[in-house]
Amino acid sequence: MDDNRSTRRDFLSNAITLGSGAVVFLSGTSLAAGEEHPAERYDWEAHRYAYVIDTTKCIGCGSCVRACRAENEVPDGYFRTWVERYVLSAESSHVDSPNGGLDGFPPMQAGFAPTKSFFVPKMCNHCKETPCIQVCPVGASYRTRDGVVLVDGQRCIGCGYCVQACPYGSRFLSPKTHTAEKCTWCYHRVTKGMKPACVEVCPTATRLFGDMKREDDPVRRILEHERVAVMQPHLLTEPQCFYLGLDKEVR
Amino acid sequence: MEHARHVFRVLFVLLVAVVGIVLVRSFLVPASYGLYGPYRFDNVAEQAAIRPPLHGGAVACGECHEDRSKAVAAGVHRSVSCEVCHAPLGRHVKGGDVVAPMAVDRSFTLCARCHRKIDGRPTAFPQVVLEQHVQGGLEGRVCLECHDPHSPKL
Repeated sequence: MDDNRSTRRDFLSNAITLGSGAVVFLSGTSLAAGEEHPAERYDWEAHRYAYVIDTTKCIGCGSCVRACRAENEVPDGYFRTWVERYVLSAESSHVDSPNGGLDGFPPMQAGFAPTKSFFVPKMCNHCKETPCIQVCPVGASYRTRDGVVLVDGQRCIGCGYCVQACPYGSRFLSPKTHTAEKCTWCYHRVTKGMKPACVEVCPTATRLFGDMKREDDPVRRILEHERVAVMQPHLLTEPQCFYLGLDKEVR
Repeated sequence: MEHARHVFRVLFVLLVAVVGIVLVRSFLVPASYGLYGPYRFDNVAEQAAIRPPLHGGAVACGECHEDRSKAVAAGVHRSVSCEVCHAPLGRHVKGGDVVAPMAVDRSFTLCARCHRKIDGRPTAFPQVVLEQHVQGGLEGRVCLECHDPHSPKL
């Protein structure tokens, strides 16, 4: 008799524990299942973004760097986008990016007779097969359905693996939040139908932002008809930033 | 009967452990995690609403300054956004109200950023060799003395 009583009591307490646990668990999943993209009137399946940088047009004014800084509150000394200057001859090369090109570029003495020189704007390539997401141990880095690589600042623990993994140097650990930060293609703008700030202010149309799911899109047209290159294709990261007039010296 | 109790105790401990794990997991894993992949889906909406856009674009400027934007559109600076030389629209207007006067940069460096002759710029782009530009040199002078920034052709 004693045995029976104790098992019944145990059974009841187990049932209550298990039941409440199941309720909590199920409520969690059912809550999540019915959600839609909360950005109003925005369907992320209807877009796939791509970016084109025509290095033959860049004048190195740094407007994009300043616009990015203002738009995204990028901390001083860190860059979500920056501009590099390449001054080259057959034997020698010189690359500089004073303060990321924020204040434009001063005249320079290369110390050799350059035969060609040009500017290359750089930023996150929003790769399809990106190493930064693969190395994230907490699921803070991810790629959206519309093709943007983002960092969840609430999940990020600031380990810096992604900063190390990015072959393009596009990420940094913010000195303010101590989490990874990067170019978001101005996700707060593009989800409202606007262009990223860098594209908005570019005076020479060096930078173009487009949507591959729109038939009349200028970026899509360039990718369909022009000979575009990506940076460091041997890494097979499938960048979604495409370059026109990219030199072999640019990494 | 004694053996059955042992088995039951083990099962009971296992059950408690499983329930405990499920409980703790349900508290630790964010609700929207894993909906579309190994990340918190709610962050997508958070990123989309992280801050109001600061740059408005030339069209937004033209809503109030129609005459100015028309004049710029007719000149060689038509492709230069107002916000390049002035400041982002969000510093000037918030929610339709003017919150601060628009910055006007009349400095020499503003023009020099684009038009000073340096290595790197495309050769077809209009550039100025400062030393040869005007008699007496440019020291202490600003480009706007002679040029209209909105349509700078002389």
